[in-house]
Amino acid sequence: MPQKPAATMADAIAAYHSYVSGQLDELRNHLGTLRAAVANADTPGAQGAWLQAQQCWQRVGAAYGSFGELGDAIAPGSRGLQGGSADPEFKGLRRIEYGLWHGQGAPQLLPAIDQLAKDLQALAAKLPGLSTDPADMPLRLHEILEDSQRDHLSGNGDQGSGMAIALTRADVEATQEVLDLLRTLLQGLKAGFPALLDQQLAALLKVIDQTRTGGTWTPYRSLSLLQRQRINGALGRVLESLALVPALFSTD
Amino acid sequence: MNLERRSFLMGSATTAAGGLLVACAPEQKEQSPAVTDVVPFHGDNQAGVYRPADQQASACFASFTVIADNRAELKTLFQRLTTKARILTGGHRHDQALPTEELNGVDGAPPVNSGVLGEDVPAANISLSFGVAGSLFDREEFGLKARKPKGLTEMKVFPKDQIDAAWVGGDLMIQICADSQDAVHYALRDIMKATRGQLQLAWKINGFHNKPRPDGAPRNLFGYKDGIVNPASTESLVWINGNSGQPGWTEGGTFLVVRLIRMLVEFWDRVGLGEQDGMIGRHRASGAPLGKDKETDEPDYANDPEGNEIPLDAHIRLANPRTKETSGSRMLRRGYNYDLGVDLNGNMQAGLIFASYQQNIQEQFEATQTRLADEPMTDYIEPFGGGYFLMLPGVKDENDHLASGLFA
Ligand code: HEM
Repeated sequence: MPQKPAATMADAIAAYHSYVSGQLDELRNHLGTLRAAVANADTPGAQGAWLQAQQCWQRVGAAYGSFGELGDAIAPGSRGLQGGSADPEFKGLRRIEYGLWHGQGAPQLLPAIDQLAKDLQALAAKLPGLSTDPADMPLRLHEILEDSQRDHLSGNGDQGSGMAIALTRADVEATQEVLDLLRTLLQGLKAGFPALLDQQLAALLKVIDQTRTGGTWTPYRSLSLLQRQRINGALGRVLESLALVPALFSTD
Repeated sequence: MNLERRSFLMGSATTAAGGLLVACAPEQKEQSPAVTDVVPFHGDNQAGVYRPADQQASACFASFTVIADNRAELKTLFQRLTTKARILTGGHRHDQALPTEELNGVDGAPPVNSGVLGEDVPAANISLSFGVAGSLFDREEFGLKARKPKGLTEMKVFPKDQIDAAWVGGDLMIQICADSQDAVHYALRDIMKATRGQLQLAWKINGFHNKPRPDGAPRNLFGYKDGIVNPASTESLVWINGNSGQPGWTEGGTFLVVRLIRMLVEFWDRVGLGEQDGMIGRHRASGAPLGKDKETDEPDYANDPEGNEIPLDAHIRLANPRTKETSGSRMLRRGYNYDLGVDLNGNMQAGLIFASYQQNIQEQFEATQTRLADEPMTDYIEPFGGGYFLMLPGVKDENDHLASGLFA
């Protein structure tokens, strides 16, 4: 397990890479379960496995297209595709989500799952050699949750599952992970700031978890306006704080 | 409140932005005393009701859900809104000091100012008026039940209303008026940035106030001069006082009724002028009551008991029959036009943000609306949203804050 908190940015990046490779291993396991469920025409099972896989990918914290094209292949959206969600170019986890919630079965989905498994392997293989800009980690700390707002809670990324809240929760966990890695450094730059972020992230998790009933996630659009407002409020508050992080680390 | 170096306010800082900034603003003397684009924030009553005398051209009525968790956080919210209002209503230059809660204290962090109005924010006659809905008092966590103003119910649904759930509700109203739409937008965005964890928008609507065409009261979207008749502030119909039967903390406040009323302009334009005039009770061209010459002429209902001149069911006649018994039901109207775009079928979704201010919602707004229930104009309008709010008493000076009486 990576060392937390890291004493230098280089250590933080190294620790983050080892965290990511652990997540990718887990993701591959979920993909195996997903493949088996699809092959057995077990749609509920496949949907559950997809959610696990997608949450796992969110926990990687791959905001703003980090890991380059390798990362982009895992869960791109359907934006900008001529045929939208039905476009043959659409691939990755979101493509599988689309199929699982639109009545598709093994013939359409197995090729997509196998392609994803290949792309994942390529990413995992390249990961140790990837160099990461020191400015990347602070940006990541801020922008993972910007992506939640832009892609999940907006409804834009959804391909039918309605799991925006579950995915946002995983994004919060990714943010907490990165915060843990940067904690010592951040504390040195602004004393007390990590604790403030802890508190605001916890407040966000609290309102997120309040939307769960009996261990299941309510599709986002079925939540009441007040529930969505509470989430947006807690998210907005922590984002205003996280927006200071890149500047704190900036050496300009 | 701590201040950064450099402190200087544009505009009449004493009234607009509070002595605390003035205290370290020696350069203030160099400013010309006649600043015309500042609507003072401090006063016994809030701005945006009778002040400024001429309604600003642009407005936003923004209704928020309060998501603060407890009473202490709610109070802090009102204090924060007060600070915001002081700054926004005075205008500020980029090199002026700001209170510490406005600053993030991090070099190179995202700018505090969105830049929409440039680096120097003009006063632009921005007025910010804050109101609370009955729902705020019903929330257990705030412990304000005993403080609830009388008659601050949910908005009553009248027989011809077509209410859309997306356009009602909210616990806190912020009415923003300014000379231009960009200033209104700036103010709203600035406030929201500072209050994300306490306030979330429930609905909002932008409005515009027309220029006089060619003179007198500006016209509404039916083409009729609107806002000709309004009670004076001295008439004791608008501000809550010691005789209003309300909790003491509300004195100096007023009740706001917002009604979002779609106007079926396509249909209206297919009606003859004589019929239009009859529905309103005024001549379209001059704004004069039917049979009179000037908009300022008074209708004489006593000598027109059959409605030969002004039909008995004309809007102005039902709204204000000008009798002793109905005199107390008058109210201040200060609405705005809105234009929201397109309806389901390609017609214009446009109309009136009806805004009236009164001491008593039931005896004034509701009594009037009840008289208007079957007016012929109802065929051409569709109320679809809005709400009832208590507009808070004014913030007296730099030591006071919004809703201070509520927490006293
Ligand atoms: C889209 C809806 C409405 C339109 C187009 C409209 C239009 C007008 C017009 C053209 C006038 C005459 C000008 C003036 O005196 O200001 C007027 C007056 C008035 N309206 Fe409305 N109005 C609307 C809704 C309402 C509502 C909802 C109320 C209150 C319940 C109301 C209450 C009054 C009152 C009290 C007057 C003044 C009458 C007087 O004192 O002579 N109006 N309205």
